[in-house]
Amino acid sequence: MKHFRSNKKAIFLLTFPALFIFSVVVIYPLLQTFYRSFFEWNGLSQPRYIFLENYKSLLHDDIFYTSLYNGAIFALILTVFQLGIGSVLAFILLENKVFGKKILRTSYFIPVVLSVTVVCQLWLTMYNAQFGLINKIFELLHFTYRQDWLGDTNLSIIAITVVASWQFMGYQFAIIYAGMKTIPEHIYEAAKLDGASKVKTHLKITIPLMAETYRICLIFALIGGLTAYGYMNIMTGGGPGTSTYTLTYQMIRSAFVMNEIGYGSASAVVLILECFVVTLIINRFIARERITY
Amino acid sequence: MSMWISNLGGKVFKVFPWLYCIISIYPLVYMLFFSLKSNEEILYQNPFGIPHVFHFDNYSRAVKAFNILLFFKNSVIVSFASLIGIILFSITFAYAASRMEWRLNKWTTTYMLMGLFIPIQSIMIPLSLLVKNFHLANSYFSLIVPYISFNLSFSVLIFYGFFRTIPPEMEESAFMDGAGIARTFVNIILPIMRPAIATVIIFSFMGVWNEFTMATVLISDAHFKTLPVGLVSFTGARSSDYGGMGAAMVMASIPTFVVYLIFSEQVEKALTVGSAVKG
Repeated sequence: MKHFRSNKKAIFLLTFPALFIFSVVVIYPLLQTFYRSFFEWNGLSQPRYIFLENYKSLLHDDIFYTSLYNGAIFALILTVFQLGIGSVLAFILLENKVFGKKILRTSYFIPVVLSVTVVCQLWLTMYNAQFGLINKIFELLHFTYRQDWLGDTNLSIIAITVVASWQFMGYQFAIIYAGMKTIPEHIYEAAKLDGASKVKTHLKITIPLMAETYRICLIFALIGGLTAYGYMNIMTGGGPGTSTYTLTYQMIRSAFVMNEIGYGSASAVVLILECFVVTLIINRFIARERITY
Repeated sequence: MSMWISNLGGKVFKVFPWLYCIISIYPLVYMLFFSLKSNEEILYQNPFGIPHVFHFDNYSRAVKAFNILLFFKNSVIVSFASLIGIILFSITFAYAASRMEWRLNKWTTTYMLMGLFIPIQSIMIPLSLLVKNFHLANSYFSLIVPYISFNLSFSVLIFYGFFRTIPPEMEESAFMDGAGIARTFVNIILPIMRPAIATVIIFSFMGVWNEFTMATVLISDAHFKTLPVGLVSFTGARSSDYGGMGAAMVMASIPTFVVYLIFSEQVEKALTVGSAVKG
């Protein structure tokens, strides 16, 4: 066995397949993304080296700013909706004797396991201006308010974000719930003796103790917002106009519809940097020390 | 007064989880209902409730007209092949990384784990060129190979962590007793690994079965489309057949839905562990 543990041939055979496929399919394309962002290329002709020109054009492209704005809106709503509702639900379910806890937890998680296509098609029918469920609910409640949810330039990005928030709330809930369960009961005893209210107890004790968990949730929500693509592709096609473009949407469109591969690669590089910076900032400011009880 | 408020607060507290349950579930119930209704009922007579007449013909129409069985078959093939590749490559790598002694071990493992931090969208463009250059475009391999590669980092991490919790003496004693490397692996190691393998299978299956972005970019031939992509193309073509569309959507959701209902605890754990390691 000792002999086997440092057998060069065995080590090579065991590690090579994973290393090879990972290098060729993930790392090599990643480097290519950076490299190609310095070229002007339509995929057929000779690529032309233009250094930072693609990045300069990005800075003069209105769609780029729409994409950044939408990414920020998407991430922001996702974070507030999911972390807010997820936390409140976790507080309630852990503390009270609520009927049917298991059913509730399951029901929150079910949308997570559905494909983005099914979720989007479903919400497309629900958002439909003429006979969609949402407008029908207003009708049922005798409101005259009707809205073409996805046809409005300002509303559509929010309407899309609601769908993503709805789908993954259960995911964040599961993380928060699991995190809260690990906080030992005795931590709360002093607060109970002081007669602090529940809301205050959670604000002052639970949430600070959960910093590590919230860091994970925050990164998930923000990165999810920045890299959103499927929702836009299926529900609005980036429209009306270009009002629901995100960076990923813009990148795929430039590369595969407009055949501007260099320009698309530059968007991809910006996307990578954005994700990197967001992760860095969150890791820098939240939960820098691990909490031990 | 404050008593009354806290009483009311308590009531709201007990109702809210159920209120959100309705928000979370009703759209899906609505989908199930309209998959069994006629257009007339969906649009005008009865948008909210249980169907008056159950139109099971929506399902047979979805199967016949929408090619859903083909998409289903493609999804099964792609998921199955990807899972096998993921487990095979990552278990072997993790074994060598956690158990064997070689130079550059630390570096190589760190390198493999870098994939956790790379957003898949950022390499779409070169990847599609790569697939074209290798003449893999419009074949199952154009999805299987990227799916394997993209799930390796996570699986390696899970298996690596798991191997470190098993004492090496376990294999060593089996090895001493005269079992070969292969026998030791199959008889001793794999059975202990079951929980880790289950986590990897669930995590990868959910991801691969539902994957949309890569599948839209890399597959254009309808013959190789997986369910998430196939569903988009047919709703464009027959967007007025709501019942049939609903039926197709319900059928497409059954596999992940059933897996979740059976293994709910494990599924939640497997999926959330994914983001915990990424953070």
